Amino acid sequence: MSKIQEMVVELRSTPGIKGVALITSDGLVAAESLDERYRSEVVAGLTSYLLMTTNRSLREGGLGQCTQFVLHATHGKAVFTTLDDSYLVVLFDQFADLTAARREVQGIASRLRRATRLA
Amino acid sequence: MHLIQRMKIWKELRRLEQRAREEPSPTTFVDLGQVYINLEMNDKAQRVAEDGLALFPKSVELRKLLDCARRGLRKQRAVELRTKLTRSPNPKLYRELAQLQIDLGDMTALHATCQEWSVRFPDDAGAWLVLGQARLLNFYRDLAAREGQEAVRCLERAVQMDGEDVQARRLLGEVLYRIGAVSTALDHLQALQAHEEQDPELQALLRHVSSLPDHGSDVDSLLDEVEEHGCLAHPSMTAAQPRASQDESLGRIRDSLAQVAEIPGVRKAAYIKGSRALVKGAIRDGKDPFLRVVRVVAKATHRFARRMDIGSASKSVVDGPFGHICICVYGEVLAGVQCDNGTDLELVLAELQEIVAGSLYSGTHDA
Repeated sequence: MSKIQEMVVELRSTPGIKGVALITSDGLVAAESLDERYRSEVVAGLTSYLLMTTNRSLREGGLGQCTQFVLHATHGKAVFTTLDDSYLVVLFDQFADLTAARREVQGIASRLRRATRLA
Repeated sequence: MHLIQRMKIWKELRRLEQRAREEPSPTTFVDLGQVYINLEMNDKAQRVAEDGLALFPKSVELRKLLDCARRGLRKQRAVELRTKLTRSPNPKLYRELAQLQIDLGDMTALHATCQEWSVRFPDDAGAWLVLGQARLLNFYRDLAAREGQEAVRCLERAVQMDGEDVQARRLLGEVLYRIGAVSTALDHLQALQAHEEQDPELQALLRHVSSLPDHGSDVDSLLDEVEEHGCLAHPSMTAAQPRASQDESLGRIRDSLAQVAEIPGVRKAAYIKGSRALVKGAIRDGKDPFLRVVRVVAKATHRFARRMDIGSASKSVVDGPFGHICICVYGEVLAGVQCDNGTDLELVLAELQEIVAGSLYSGTHDA
């Protein structure tokens, strides 16, 4: 198992997290550990769509790029963190406390940044 | 249909299902729904139309597909009810069938059903009430005196047969005051009050009707006047009040938005419903990029959540060199804020949620 995959699996073991994926900016899955209900290509495609759409509208408005995106829905939550050339996607159940989980996500995101630079 | 044909259709369905997932557009959903309709699987066609409308709420084709699927479901149910009625007739089934026929606009079938119903159950006032409702719908739509006379005749018959039928009396009272027969309408509404003493809506209706001028009690000539002038003599209770309550709810939203804009760190705040927006803070005009970002992100999150099967997106926070953009959305109503780093995001999101929820609440009451 690669180091990046290990970090993804490690983050996935946090309570409330239903899936973690590292998606490249062109929508490919670099590493993933997802609950059975999620398909990696769907997560990748939709993440790419959401972040590209958001970034395009921000850029057009002269606001720069999105660094993190938090989404709350009725049956789940998601946090997207922008790394250098990729996105870290963390999917939660609807009961998860994002404030508590944020530290874990930030920690893994920093480690992933370093690891992807080295790779 | 033999096995090979059936296999071909299932293959085509799988292909269309996949296409709708991978390339969602009104056309892909309509193509898929159309196949289900052709297979008489109207429940699945309805599901496809609803999924499509969640992503493309303004699509006319998808609305048509939904109508078509619902119509098909009603027809199927009508056939089932007809079979049941042949085996064991009862007023409840007749009522359901007649209601479906009203929804389908099939007046000939409705008359046949009501006739059969009143012959089999001559003491049941239900057939007259349903016929009266159908005639009333036509009257309010066309303002044709003939339809109005038939509606009043059917509803009066229902009231005569069952003096405690609240619905028939209320409908009769309403149509009578709308055409100007205020005094006769008040008699019915006051009789209704004896059964529904605690109903605040009825109290409000009575107050509204009491304040209107009476144009006499000759129903036929009043109906002729309505047909001649092309308008009803008096407005409905809700139509008489909406402007004040709409202004009031807009005022409340504006106040809440001002309150959000005063939270330390908040630079821009907006409330958006459809194509209209209320704004506070450093927003120059309707072309401010913040407004566009809020709209785009709300739509994208909605689509993401639906496709990921995690329900409806309600709140989102976008971080960047600009600070934070917080969005709270429900249906076509959304509220957004742009604020600096270090702003109390939980407070901002809670306030935005209040605005959206409050606007929906007042929206339903205004309607």
